[in-house]
Amino acid sequence: MIFLKYDRRLFQNFDWTLLALVLAICAIGVVNIYSTGFSLDGNQSPLYIKQLQWIFLGLALMVITFLIDYRSISQAAYVIYGLSVASLIFVAVFGHTANGAQRWISFGFFLFQPSELMKVTMIIALARYFDDHKSHEPYLLRELFIPCLIVLIPFVLILKQPDLGTALVLVIVSASIVLFIGMNGKSLLIALTSALAVMPVAWHFLKDYQKDRLLTFLSPETDPLGTGYHIIQSMIAIGSGGFLGKGFLQGSQTQLKFLPEQQTDFVFSVFAEEWGFIGGLILLVMFISLIVWGLKIALHSKDLLGTILAFGVTALIAWQVMINMGMVLGLLPVVGIPLPFMSYGGSALVTLLGAIGLLMNVSVRRFVLQR
Amino acid sequence: MEKQCSLRNGPEPSEFRQKLKVIIILVCVVLSLLVIRLWYLQVIKGDELRQRSENNAIRFRKIQPLRGLVMDRHGRIMVDNRPSYDVLYMPTKGLNPEMLVQKISDIYKTRALEYSTDLPLPRTVKSYLPVRLEKNVGMEKVALVETNALDLPGVYIDVTPVRLYVDGEVFAPVIGYTGEVSKEELEKTEEGYSSGDVTGKYGIEKVLDPYIRGRRGNELVEVNAFGKVIKNLGRIDPTSGANVVLTIDADLQKAAWEAFEDKAGAAVAMDPRDGSILAMVSLPSFDPNLFNAGISREEWVKLQKNPLNPLSNRAISGQYPPGSTYKLIVAAAALEEGVITPETRISCNGSFELGNRSYRCWKKHGHGSVNLHQALVGSCDVYFYTVGKMLGVDRIARYAKRFGLGDVTGIELAHERKGLVPTRDWKLARMKEPWQPGETISISIGQGFNLATPLQLVQAYSAMANGGSRWRPRLVERIAWPDGTVVKQWLPEKTGELKFGPKTMDVLNRALWAVVNEPGGTGANARVPGADVCGKTGTSQVIGLPQNEKARHAMKIAAFHKDHALFVCYAPLKNPEIAVAVVAENAGGGGAVAAPIARKILAAYFESKKKEKTNSAAVRLTQAAASENAQPVGP
Repeated sequence: MIFLKYDRRLFQNFDWTLLALVLAICAIGVVNIYSTGFSLDGNQSPLYIKQLQWIFLGLALMVITFLIDYRSISQAAYVIYGLSVASLIFVAVFGHTANGAQRWISFGFFLFQPSELMKVTMIIALARYFDDHKSHEPYLLRELFIPCLIVLIPFVLILKQPDLGTALVLVIVSASIVLFIGMNGKSLLIALTSALAVMPVAWHFLKDYQKDRLLTFLSPETDPLGTGYHIIQSMIAIGSGGFLGKGFLQGSQTQLKFLPEQQTDFVFSVFAEEWGFIGGLILLVMFISLIVWGLKIALHSKDLLGTILAFGVTALIAWQVMINMGMVLGLLPVVGIPLPFMSYGGSALVTLLGAIGLLMNVSVRRFVLQR
Repeated sequence: MEKQCSLRNGPEPSEFRQKLKVIIILVCVVLSLLVIRLWYLQVIKGDELRQRSENNAIRFRKIQPLRGLVMDRHGRIMVDNRPSYDVLYMPTKGLNPEMLVQKISDIYKTRALEYSTDLPLPRTVKSYLPVRLEKNVGMEKVALVETNALDLPGVYIDVTPVRLYVDGEVFAPVIGYTGEVSKEELEKTEEGYSSGDVTGKYGIEKVLDPYIRGRRGNELVEVNAFGKVIKNLGRIDPTSGANVVLTIDADLQKAAWEAFEDKAGAAVAMDPRDGSILAMVSLPSFDPNLFNAGISREEWVKLQKNPLNPLSNRAISGQYPPGSTYKLIVAAAALEEGVITPETRISCNGSFELGNRSYRCWKKHGHGSVNLHQALVGSCDVYFYTVGKMLGVDRIARYAKRFGLGDVTGIELAHERKGLVPTRDWKLARMKEPWQPGETISISIGQGFNLATPLQLVQAYSAMANGGSRWRPRLVERIAWPDGTVVKQWLPEKTGELKFGPKTMDVLNRALWAVVNEPGGTGANARVPGADVCGKTGTSQVIGLPQNEKARHAMKIAAFHKDHALFVCYAPLKNPEIAVAVVAENAGGGGAVAAPIARKILAAYFESKKKEKTNSAAVRLTQAAASENAQPVGP
């Protein structure tokens, strides 16, 4: 096994670009969270300090996921996946409830959200499965039964919490992976039509607040103090930033707490208010670069496993960026998906940095793998 | 690249390459859409949205909730809410508050009104925070400000609820008052206060504040450049606080207040059957309505510097030597310890010698030979000096503690004092001096180190009245939401028992009855016909009086050195329903001053009970008549 064996080439060919991009976005995130915690009464919330601590913890995990050969990690894929599902079940039974949702395991000093971990472990499990079942032909629906199961189990558990946003991300990311490696056209058609047929039934199972969110998205002004309030205030915040922004700590929407969830789902509004179009553009370009870089890693991988892993992780980041931004900019309904590396939240940040470790792992080992 | 292809057992990389190209294009398209949207919001609509955020067209306004009402046991409202009109200023560009204050006072002058407020103007004005210019203004000012709105851009009238204390002075020591949250209170984050909130500062208002407070509401409004609301965007209604029902009987409370005729002191009336407090007055008092508008500094200083301390509730925090009311406890101790029997006679010639000192009886020429009953009826000091000496201080203390003295009673109010039951150990620890035999002599008639609050005294006598159970004084009956659902209920709580023999109880009860009802009893002034009042007078020395007759008389004349008058009683003898403790400060003798006050309270109680009875009898009669009338309908 090439388990943790020191190899000079790991460092010679280290993917500095990827690390620099991720760290830069993380740094912007911390500065931005500092701004949200800066309130008028001078009570500095130490949130940005905590975020920094999460980043260091995440970097530690990144080192681990980078150093262990991803093929070794893949050996343990189903174990890791099983543990994640177990923790989701644990949450469903004993979990910590906040804001009406049962999503967290309390470790006393911090709350761990297994659904965030699930996003990454699901990708690893899918990669392992498709690597084990290589095929030159596009997959048929019946060949996708087990991958469907791999997605559906955590999907149902997370939907139950309830956390519609995260559950949808699982489905979208796994669908992207399947489409990427190839699916039989006919099968795809069947899958799509059956998904459409299920939708009205699914609507029935949504919680009232989830329905409200989807409905108010269609006309935010009808309920400005409730769900629509988030969207309106977010758009005012972003728009009032103008071309150059109001300046660091100067965003009145943010500082006056007009903006809800400003350190989590709506961080981008804070950023765009204070740094303007220029800041927003720069951040978006950084995200585009990160995504393109990730896809490039997927392409250059020496084996299918690496390709799927890299593609999955990149898809995860890309979808979350697109959905979060779309939501914050008033293009999509409010579904509660954080902005990668920017939103406050330990579980998401640590697992995402771990996932970046995997990406580096694949990126670097194309120079190491010889066989 | 092609070399590695053979290694793969999956799709061709060229196929991936194709797909990835498409994906990259798709991602770029989506992210470009986001950039376009960003451009649209920030550059095209930027000015408009900036306007909306900056002018701050949309504002949150806090809506203060209604505090819960406070009611007496019969549901009569003692504390209500009324609207208060404040003049607020929402800053607009180019106008500072000073200019506006000038303008407003000019407008006031046309009607000979004065602009008066202690509120400091903020040094820096923030465009989103309203400045409160004047608080709690009259309707005339409201009308002036409203009609001159065009000259006063940004100025508006805000209506908030404030407390209305009915008969404020009478209930103030119990109910307390409210005020705006202080800086310290704001820092206690767990309370969830925000600036401008109203909170209880004293009494029930403070102790039950979390229940009474209610929850703040919010309003989202759009305002124009003049700060006027032009559009209501949404509203979360405030939640009213829960109502408090006290065990107090408002009528009895008023009767007790009036009975004092402006003397300083305190009275507590308790139901000895379960510890419910029926009335609790403390004089002098203050008007809690003054605090609504934010009390002026002058008035606050006046209240604080008043030597009679109107801001304290004497019923729970006034500590007085219990005087002869303590004799009940010494008598109980003596009987239970077998030191004397009810028949033991002691001869009183007006003084008691111990060592080379002599201790006087209040009756100059003595009571002659008296037994326990006669000693209590005539309040003979020499009898109790003798018995006290036989018991010793620590044995007396043990019984005093059984009566609940020397410790807080646990009533639902803050600032309750413990009083003091002295013991040998206490003195050694506190004063580093051993106990002197002479001090026991003072203790046995409730003087010396002894201290008790009026509430403790009424609790002690209630225990005597109800056959030996000590109940926690209960001031709050329940807390309920406006719709009647009970939030919390306080049940009677037994905190201790006297555990005396039936003979002791019988002898003492009869003696206390005789104090009021037998000829020569010191409590004759508390007699209420048909009520069988039992009680004990007490006169507690404020300072040690010289034993020399002349000097003694001279000192007694000076008002502030005058004795405190005490009377503690319960009625009727059989199945008592009310116990009362009265302390009148610097007013003179207990029998002459305190007993008449107690009589008025008791009389008011039995009077209203009689009325209630006739009322309910009348109701029953009419009901009976009604049902009789209804009879013919039947088969």
